[in-house]
Amino acid sequence: MRHRSGWWLLAPGLLLLLVAFVAPVAMMVPMSFRPYVPLVGITDGFTAGYYTKLLTDSYYLEIIGRTLALGFTVTLSTLVIGYPVAFFLARTPSRWRSWLTILVVFPLMLNLVVRTFGWIALLAQNGLVNQALRSLGVVGSPVKLLFNFAGLLIAMTHIFLPFMVLVLIGAIQNIPRDVEDAARVLGASWASTFCRVTLPLSAPGILSGSILVFVLTISALVTPRLLGGPTYQVMATLIYDEFLQRLNWPAGSAQALLLTLMVLALVYLSGRLARRTGARA
Amino acid sequence: MSGAAPALSVRRLRKAFGAVVAVDDVSLDAAPGEFLSLLGPSGCGKSTLLRMVAGLVEPDGGQVVLAGEDITRVAVHRRNLGLVFQSYALFPHMTVQENVAFGLRRRGVGEPELRPRVERMLDLVRLGPLGARYPRELSGGQQQRVALARALVTEPRVLLLDEPLSNLDALLRDEMRVELKRLQERLGTTMIFVTHDQAEALILSDRVVVMEHGRVEQIGRPEEVYRRPATAFVARFLGRANFLTGTVAESEAGRTVVALEGGGLSVVAGPRSGLVAGQPVHAVVRQESIRLEPAGDGAGPGAAGTNRFAATIVFHAFAGQAHHYVVQLGNGRELEVTAPGASLPLARGARALVAWRPEDVTLLAGGPGPGGPR
Repeated sequence: MRHRSGWWLLAPGLLLLLVAFVAPVAMMVPMSFRPYVPLVGITDGFTAGYYTKLLTDSYYLEIIGRTLALGFTVTLSTLVIGYPVAFFLARTPSRWRSWLTILVVFPLMLNLVVRTFGWIALLAQNGLVNQALRSLGVVGSPVKLLFNFAGLLIAMTHIFLPFMVLVLIGAIQNIPRDVEDAARVLGASWASTFCRVTLPLSAPGILSGSILVFVLTISALVTPRLLGGPTYQVMATLIYDEFLQRLNWPAGSAQALLLTLMVLALVYLSGRLARRTGARA
Repeated sequence: MSGAAPALSVRRLRKAFGAVVAVDDVSLDAAPGEFLSLLGPSGCGKSTLLRMVAGLVEPDGGQVVLAGEDITRVAVHRRNLGLVFQSYALFPHMTVQENVAFGLRRRGVGEPELRPRVERMLDLVRLGPLGARYPRELSGGQQQRVALARALVTEPRVLLLDEPLSNLDALLRDEMRVELKRLQERLGTTMIFVTHDQAEALILSDRVVVMEHGRVEQIGRPEEVYRRPATAFVARFLGRANFLTGTVAESEAGRTVVALEGGGLSVVAGPRSGLVAGQPVHAVVRQESIRLEPAGDGAGPGAAGTNRFAATIVFHAFAGQAHHYVVQLGNGRELEVTAPGASLPLARGARALVAWRPEDVTLLAGGPGPGGPR
């Protein structure tokens, strides 16, 4: 009885999830199988055409591939940039530590649109980055950094970096210093201790930070729309256009469901991975 | 320690954390194969001292010399020492075997040689069949044995132990003490053992280093520091003792007489050089050195100079191994007395005689003022 009574604590959260997430998604399932006739609208009937198109049409496959590639590269670059920062913040005895941590979170306090426009100013043909590169003589002609993969990668890495750093700080702080000291006394150099002890023990944080950033990246709408323009599409912008520009709700539903399935599959797989590494850590 | 060169020497080691001096000019030697304890209350600097020897804390001054070699500036991982932590500090993502093999692998020991060495060490700490387990699947005592095996398998020149038994429950701690001592005798490893538990230090050690406020108060064999405490702190920290304040009445060859504060009573102690008549002193008498006899057995309180006094029992408690008493002397001074548990108890209010031998009295030069340095 004691065990069961605790579940009531989940009730508000579960209810919200049911109303705001499960119900809309469930409603999209029948929608995604209804034919859409241009100029007429959504008609009665049944078609799996939007799914076959999504999974066979090279246009859609390219967008799906691009979305996944963006997710993986943004995750990887936030990890590579964020880990040293998190390591420093978790370990520094400096009294500035809490201020530095606030500095990491600070970008999150700025509106997303403002931050994205900032990147447009920086990455444009005559933006600051290109001006700097040219005056330093690194490149002869401006590098194209907007409306392509590079621009999205740079901007989204910046935007999602705080999430990665915050998750990693917690994970690294949880590693007992004694365990690292033990490795060093046993003859492991600093680098060896890091690779064999610190890094494996921060794996849970690396995993949850990666899931967070990956999911945020592949479902991001505002930044890809502003930095990718109307033509350089990712799944989120495609779904947005389908629903609000072309009013093709069935196609949009099919795409949204596919994105949801991809996210769920990823969370499931990483959960299994975590359990397997967690069994050891 | 004369004879063999010390396995480990600490010379004038100093460390301050901000304004707090953790280790203040400490020097000591450990002979090869010796079990040396650093004993003191928490915050006395014993752990910092150990960590400086291990290389985990950088000293502000002084030297650490390992078998004649100055290792003060040698990196932690090149010192070839063993360290066992209070928290065990096992690698949670590795099996017991991998934990124990870690140090050997870092030293480039090949798999064919590594395997039997790990297994032999696991057998030695009686963990043979548990090699494939992960640390979290083991009990506290088993984890501590893994930590010991992991440190010992590399055959360190000196094994450092930082309160290794403090996280174990009382019964297991007693068991592990015996096991640790036997392991040390069998392997002959020099061990530096940090503890705040005086009983542990006395039982395990060849010599005890008593520390307080970052300084060494006394170094000696367990009997020495217990029977002949050099300072009031040592007398109080090791076992329980009665402090009788007084002044030296006469100091002659063979004996010293102390006139107790409040008048009327005097205590005789063994010979003690360096004391002059009129000097304030503390006469320290261990609880268990005091014999307690019921009054009226014929022998009355002795004449001055026999350390026999009439007393009244004001408190009695039975603690299994012993009876604890508080008795009051004629001058109102109270003494704590421990009598063997098998003896017949004396009731509160009973009249009794207390007596002790002159050689059981330790005289410590004391400052003026009542109560002494309590």
